[in-house]
Amino acid sequence: MNPFTTLTSKEDLIMKKIYTLGLVISLVILTATSLCFAADYGYKTMTPDMEKALKNRQSRYQQIQSLKQEGVIGENNTGYVTDLKENAAAATLAAAENQDRRVLYEALAEQNKLGSTGLLEIQKAFAYVQSEKAGAGDMVQSSSGDWKKKS
Amino acid sequence: MKPITKAATMLLAVIAITGCTLKAVGDPNRPITINANVVVDIRGLKKTAANIEDMVAQGAVK
Repeated sequence: MNPFTTLTSKEDLIMKKIYTLGLVISLVILTATSLCFAADYGYKTMTPDMEKALKNRQSRYQQIQSLKQEGVIGENNTGYVTDLKENAAAATLAAAENQDRRVLYEALAEQNKLGSTGLLEIQKAFAYVQSEKAGAGDMVQSSSGDWKKKS
Repeated sequence: MKPITKAATMLLAVIAITGCTLKAVGDPNRPITINANVVVDIRGLKKTAANIEDMVAQGAVK
């Protein structure tokens, strides 16, 4: 068969069908892959600093929740808590909480080799999760920077 | 469809289906440095973040 002969209209139609089918299959595979396989980020090793940060956060969790309910502190859009009422005790607690969160965020970025850009994405991801987990009445900062009471 | 289009379509289809294998050839004593952008899967990060926050909440001191 001479490869330089032009195709007949029937062959042309078949080729078009194959091409379209290939395109559809590729799109389906790409979509399914992105939907089914989220990257698995996690801590590879637990360092003493990380363990300490985690325990600190667990020990102050109830206190943080109470202050959130009172509207004294809120979850900001960078993955940290903010003192909203200029309350000295709340500010101290928020600073300690943020310090421990930072240890955990940095460890996640470092252990998954995500770099400084990754750290920002980690903070955004945590901010999103904190906002989703916030109870009704908690103050949450939107991505645009506005503070709103979660309904 | 012309034969050249047919051949190109077939080639693209084969590449799409089988994927590509890249081989680097060069002097091992003079390694090439490639600066790659890190791609972050936001959905994966959110899942991890949710797991960690659950761990904090579940281990909270009452």
